[in-house]
Amino acid sequence: MTGSPATMAALQTALAAEQAASYGYGIAGAHLRQGSARQAAATTDWTAHLVAAEQLSSMISARGGTPAPAAVAYQLPSPVRTAAEAITLAWTLEDAVARAYLGLVALPELTLRRFGADQVRAAALRAEAWRGTTQAFPGLPPASLRS
Amino acid sequence: MSGDRGRLAPGQVSGLSRRALLTGAAAALPLVLTACKGVQALGTPPPPAPDVRTLEAAIVAERAMVARYAEAVRQVRSASDTAVVRMLMSIQGEHAEHLAQLQSRLTKPGGASPSASASPSASPAGAAPSLTSVLSGLKTAETAASDRYIAQLDGLPPSLAQLFASIAASEATHVPYLHDARRGR
Repeated sequence: MTGSPATMAALQTALAAEQAASYGYGIAGAHLRQGSARQAAATTDWTAHLVAAEQLSSMISARGGTPAPAAVAYQLPSPVRTAAEAITLAWTLEDAVARAYLGLVALPELTLRRFGADQVRAAALRAEAWRGTTQAFPGLPPASLRS
Repeated sequence: MSGDRGRLAPGQVSGLSRRALLTGAAAALPLVLTACKGVQALGTPPPPAPDVRTLEAAIVAERAMVARYAEAVRQVRSASDTAVVRMLMSIQGEHAEHLAQLQSRLTKPGGASPSASASPSASPAGAAPSLTSVLSGLKTAETAASDRYIAQLDGLPPSLAQLFASIAASEATHVPYLHDARRGR
């Protein structure tokens, strides 16, 4: 199976978002109290992102592509020095992951479309747990909504 | 009065040659056919495309969800649980946003909109449900709605599929949010 350029680009974008999230959770977890429920949640979510990145790498390889390697370090959206900033980073990462997976949802291949939708939902659920509130349109930029 | 006046020569019709008449008739033929096609198009509207039917069903279901929350707010308000009322109204607002976005993707002739056939019925008088059962019913409905949106992704245009996936995600997050409702989050 060979993936179209659009398919490969969407998969690589989702993979990059997962790799950035994995890195970010490592930073966030380090700023949460050792042994706390929050830190345990960060560890669980970090693992989920590692697993998803593996799945995406397999999908890319199966379509004849080469998964882009993770960067050594990522620019965080804002500095993280406190637990509150770590929590903000967590839901910010999840929002970015949801946005990236919507690229898979736009593809015609139903398997990828469903996988993307499931991952948007999983990211939104994790974001809700960190943020404590819900959003009407997870992953969708406001500009894409009609007024 | 001359006897030749008004008399037609062979091959002439009211001053027009047979050739001119036939040419004119041939030219008019497409117009007649076009007119017939137009009448036919007006007479039998084509059935809506599958994605339009999916969108219409989603609009009806979303409208029912807004109504369901309105009913839940009414039931909970009488129990004076203001924190839960605020939460329910917040979620109802998101469903209203979902409904507005779905409706904006549907252009119907004459501004017609899908009929609301799935509005929930009000609880019978004197049988006020408990807060627990109200919240439990809403959680079940949200889970089903989220799953339904994802199950309907096949065949949708890309931008509509993205909207469905985003709404599915939003509605899934309402479940844990409702779960924590009584903790006053």
